[in-house]
Amino acid sequence: MIDFQHLLAYFEQLPLLVKAVWILIGLLIIFIILLIFYLKYLRGYLRKKEAISKMLFTEYEANLINFLYSQTEEEINEEQQIIVDKIKTSITNKFKRKIFISVMSKLKNDISGEMADSINNLYIKTNLINHSIAKLKSNKWYVITAGIKELNLFEITNVFEQVKKHENHPKQEVRNEVQLYFVSLFHFKGLDFLNTLKSSISEWNQIQLLEILQKFDDQEISDITPWLKSGNESVVLFSLKLAKIYNQFQIIDTLLELLNHQSKIIRLKTIEVLNYFQVNEAKKILKNNFKNSSEDEQIAFFQMLENTVEIADEEFIVLNTKHVNFQVRVLALKILKRLNNEKLLDLKNNAANDEDKLIFNYLENN
Amino acid sequence: MNNLKKVVLAEDNSTLSLLLKFRLEKEGYELLIAENGKEAIELIETHEPQLILTDIMMPFISGLEVISHVRNKLKVQTPIIVFSAAGQEEMVLKAFNLGANDFMGKPFSPNELVIRVKRLLA
Repeated sequence: MIDFQHLLAYFEQLPLLVKAVWILIGLLIIFIILLIFYLKYLRGYLRKKEAISKMLFTEYEANLINFLYSQTEEEINEEQQIIVDKIKTSITNKFKRKIFISVMSKLKNDISGEMADSINNLYIKTNLINHSIAKLKSNKWYVITAGIKELNLFEITNVFEQVKKHENHPKQEVRNEVQLYFVSLFHFKGLDFLNTLKSSISEWNQIQLLEILQKFDDQEISDITPWLKSGNESVVLFSLKLAKIYNQFQIIDTLLELLNHQSKIIRLKTIEVLNYFQVNEAKKILKNNFKNSSEDEQIAFFQMLENTVEIADEEFIVLNTKHVNFQVRVLALKILKRLNNEKLLDLKNNAANDEDKLIFNYLENN
Repeated sequence: MNNLKKVVLAEDNSTLSLLLKFRLEKEGYELLIAENGKEAIELIETHEPQLILTDIMMPFISGLEVISHVRNKLKVQTPIIVFSAAGQEEMVLKAFNLGANDFMGKPFSPNELVIRVKRLLA
């Protein structure tokens, strides 16, 4: 007691700044002690939650497998109905519902056929479908995304209109999910979203969409001309990919029009598609536009000439053997070698700079 | 005496493993489940199964390493069916080069798997 009073007296006679530091130290010690207790509690809580998750996961896994192996010719039999009722009662809780959906998703991603259909059936019978539909009305973008993802995974087609409402959602993640839903469930018909899409399709989503489309047996694609004429640049770029993959020779006139498109990337990708189709008519337009084209387009055109060159192109090629761009120059000389080797030797003898001499040497040996 | 044909299934998706276990046990096979490649190798070495089913992408040791171990280290010709997800075409080719006998792309039908298992064990 005396010691404490002594300490108090000592503390009181300290300068104000030192007192403040001591108070701060005291508060920090209390804060750290509280934090340690909180972290201990949090760790315990998370471990408990993880254990419950594991237990529920195993329980739901068994329920799901039992449901699938109880399948008879009926839509749903008595044994299955008992399992459905049991699950329905259990998943009224959001946490449990989340676990059950993860069990179903995990299996649905890896199996197909009748069992996959049974999982879709269970998703409907357990009313999970209503929870997913409710998610579409959420204000949070990630909740909407999760809802669409579930509806897509369990192949719910009759909510098309509700999903379509989000096709121009400000968040890219939501739009991606909407597009995947359309194409996964409605195949080529699902691409109709391209008619009204105002925002861009991400490069990654374009790849995913093309991959999904290639899985279908029916490869009958609808007319892509309106999409090639779209004011949305990413729609045009995506349609160019479709044109190439699905060999859309009938849209060549539209492709020729795109050579005068205001966007450089569209013009460039169009040249690549025209090169793939080996469209000779494109050469005249490209020669006329050549001077005002970007270097990338000029290179793409010469790559096209490698496949489509004719005698009539010789003059144009010779003219570009002195092009400022190294790649264009190499391509021009390479094509000339095939077209008129004498002319190439002529140019070689008159070559003035070292870089050109190196190109000629390279061409001679390759 | 247990005369059931043994099948080792190496798959990290526990739900799929459980489903296939039920399905193949119903067909009269004894299923030994491994959650990763390491466990699969241990099961193969201990039980000498008549068939191996393995996913390509697994923790610790991949399906490709399991195939390589079976063919090059254990030097046994146990039939192997590989599961692969979309976009793993190159892996499938590698699996065949290492000695896999068949492959199934995910998602696959369990009924189709049973047919392939029966064909390989006939």
